[in-house]
Formats: sequence, structure tokens, C-alpha cells
Amino acid sequence: MTAALRLIGGVRAEPVRGSVLDRVLSYPGTGVAQLRTWGDDGDDLASHRQRYGARPSSAGRHADELLDALERAALSGRGGAHFPAARKWRSVRAAGGGGTVVANGAEGEPASAKDAALLQHRPHLVLDGVTAAAETLGADEAVVWLHEEAHLTRAVVTAALAERRGAGLPDVPIRVATTPGHYLAGESSAVLRALSGGPSLPEFRLRPSSQVGLAGRPTLLHNVETLARVALTARGLEPSGSLLTVVVGGRRVVLEADESQTLSEVVSKAGWSASAPPQAVLVGGYGGRWLSWEDAAGLRVTDAALRAAGASLGAGVLAPLPVGGCGLAETATVLSYLAASGARQCGPCRFGLPAIAEIASALARGEARTSDLARLQRVAGEVTGRGACHHPDGAVALLASALTAFADDVVRHGQGRCPGADLARVLPVPGEE
Amino acid sequence: MGKGRLGGPQRLRVDPVACDGIGICARVAADLVELDSWGFPILAASALEKGQERQAKRAVRACPRRALLLQALE
Repeated sequence: MTAALRLIGGVRAEPVRGSVLDRVLSYPGTGVAQLRTWGDDGDDLASHRQRYGARPSSAGRHADELLDALERAALSGRGGAHFPAARKWRSVRAAGGGGTVVANGAEGEPASAKDAALLQHRPHLVLDGVTAAAETLGADEAVVWLHEEAHLTRAVVTAALAERRGAGLPDVPIRVATTPGHYLAGESSAVLRALSGGPSLPEFRLRPSSQVGLAGRPTLLHNVETLARVALTARGLEPSGSLLTVVVGGRRVVLEADESQTLSEVVSKAGWSASAPPQAVLVGGYGGRWLSWEDAAGLRVTDAALRAAGASLGAGVLAPLPVGGCGLAETATVLSYLAASGARQCGPCRFGLPAIAEIASALARGEARTSDLARLQRVAGEVTGRGACHHPDGAVALLASALTAFADDVVRHGQGRCPGADLARVLPVPGEE
Repeated sequence: MGKGRLGGPQRLRVDPVACDGIGICARVAADLVELDSWGFPILAASALEKGQERQAKRAVRACPRRALLLQALE
């Protein structure tokens, strides 16, 4: 991968890696993450400029430079899908450009807190990314999309916008829009549907929103971390690295990992004791995959490395499961939550996910029969790829990965009660705190 | 939306949000539509063959929820 090069004193230097958040932050295990943990380190405009310097223009004759730099850096979307950002931008351009930029900060993953942490501490970096994208693509307005309950995040973003207007920054008009928080409120088609006056629920789209989005115009929708990395790229910094949320000791720990770090290193940095390695780790989020710790520990924390191992970085969640914990019980709890969090719009998801969750619970209780496993396979096959969004696909993939990572437990559960099933769950589920 | 280019390859699609699993499509286009355990249509991902387009159009017209459509493939 070719990285952006900086000229320092006329000499070509190694690319300088940019950081979007150089601290480790710790949040309670559940609920809206709105703790500004070290009073003075949320950037106002002055400290933002001091930290990152001014943002060069991406307008007019500079428009191609940022797009090319994003392509060289292979920046991928951090909402979960890791779609190449440059390809999305080129799609907007091919459709004529203009339209709206949407910064998606509606963080629906219960175990994730990275987007809240970023918006609360580096609001101007995200907003710089919004403006750089708008300049490059000729967009004439932008929206920051948040959960209604994220009061601190909203206050910080609103204050940052006022500061920018006061300083006369060349932003397009940027407004904040909110929706009652739920698992799917940040799903891209749900965001567009809500911004068009409908409910914040996924919808079926024949053409991507990058071509036909808000008001029928091209719409660039990115997760807020993606936009923060766009702002690094616009400054000639290397945007690689990932914001992660690691679930440790009942808390959500947010940190940034660079591409050289392994899962084992990141989990230790988040506070996991090296003397008691976990048995497995959930990677990506609740639509993610379980990997045994043996398989996962040495993997580098990049989407490419994780994909090669059958997982994905997804929304950046890492949830290690301690030895003694029950992976099947954890999975059953999450599947019940996912079944209850569906939009209830698409038949296969509406009927299939509760059926899958029920069988997973029976499996966790040691009450599943052989015929249930066969039924599970059949239902899973009927649900995958059949919804307007990828919600059902994620749930099915999570279960499939659990049956592999905890294969021995599946057999043992058929023989008697699992002591781990009585322990408190590691994975946070809203409504049960 | 849903108007395929004349003569180009087309594919039958279902809007799963609009679909109520009524199942008329499977009756008028039995060769193209299968129903799952709950009565919702499963469609082939491949392009329609020449002789299948008439049946597909009948299914599109027959859907009381207007959930079926023909998509022109690039």
C-alpha cells in the first residue's frame, strides 16, 4: 500500500501515521457512552488546530487530490462494512456529485462506544472530514446523525459547530439530526429513510444511496470515524489504524490500534490480565464472529487480517470471553436481543430470528435435541440474505461461528448442565443492566 | 424503478419490507418463485431467460402488495 508522503525540510520522510484518539478511555458496560473522562482533553477549535494544524482545502482544483489519497491509503468504512471509501466517493461523482454528506454517529452496537468517544473528544476532526468530503464532491449540505439519548455528544457537536461558524470556517451548512436510539437506527438505509421523513428503519433500495439518496440526489454517508480518517488524509497523514471498543471487566474500553498490533496486544492494553488469557473473543460486534483465542490472539487487528481468519473488524468491537464463561449462553443472550431488535418488516427475519434465538437458548440450557440442530441449519439458510438490511445475516453468522468456536461445548451441553451458564454475562445487552 | 431496459437482461426482485408473504407470486410464476417455511418468496439471483419474462411480469402484476419488481441488470 502506498502511503501519503510528507515533505519535511525538502526530504521525503516516512509517512506520518495520524491518530484520531491517542488515549485509552473507559466507559460503563451498558447505556449511552457519554463520559468525558478527562475534562480538558475534548478539543475546542484552538486545541484542535494545535493538535492537527489547519486543514488544507479540498475544493476546486484540489478536489482530486483527496480522492486519490483516499484511494492510495485504501481507507475503508468504519461503520461495520469496511467498504472502500474512495469507491463510494467515485460513485457519488459518477452520479453527478452534489447532494448531502451524512456523518453517521448513531452507534447502535450495545458493546461499542468508539463513535461517542470520538465525537466527544475530537468533534472538529469529524467535522473537518465532513467539510473535506463536501468540498471534494460538491455537496451543499451535511447532517450529523445521532441517537436522541446521546445528550453529551449532541452538546459537544453543537458547540463545535457554533465555534466553526464563529471562526468563519468554510463549512457547508451542517445540522444535527437525531432519532430515538435502537440497534438499527444507524443502518444506512434507515438513516436515509428517517432523514426523508420516514421511520428510522431499514428499507429496500435498488440503487445505492451514493447515487440516489436524499431527495433523489447523491448522498455520501459515512461513519464518523471514517470521516475523522478522511480529515487525517486531507492533512497528508496516514489514516490507517482503527478505533476499537474492548469489553473488559464489565466496562467498554475505547482505544486506537495501529495495523501492526495483534489482538492479544490490544486486549492487554485495554486492561485484560495477561496471566489469564480468554478462551475466545467476539470480533466485530453482535453481528460479528466468535474466534477461539488460540486462532485469534496472534492476528493483527486489521479488517484484512481478520477476514482471512473468517471474521471482520466490523464495528470495531472485541469482546473476550474468560475461561469458565459459557460461549453458548453468551450467544443465546445476544441472539435473543438481536431477534427482539429487528425492524419486524421482513418476513424471513421476523419469523426466522426468533426461531433461531429459541433453539440457541435450548442449546445453551442443554435441552436441544438433534432435530433442533437440523432445524437450526435449515432456518439459518432460509434467513441469510433475505432482509432489506444485513441484520439477519449477522445474527446467523454469529451463531454459525459459535457452533464452530464452542463445538466441544455443544457436545458437553447435551450431556449435562454447564456451570458457566450461571455466571453473569460478559456481553452487554440493553434493557438488562 | 422496476422498469427494465427493453431487451436487456432482467432479474426478478422482491422488496422484503413490502412483501407480506401472501404467496400469489408462487402460483402465477411457479417456475421462478419458491416459498420459504413462512410463505415468503425465494427468487433466483440469476437473470431471467428469454421464455421466463412473461411469467415474471405476470407475477409482478399479480402481487397485491406491489412487492415484486423487475430489475435491469447492468
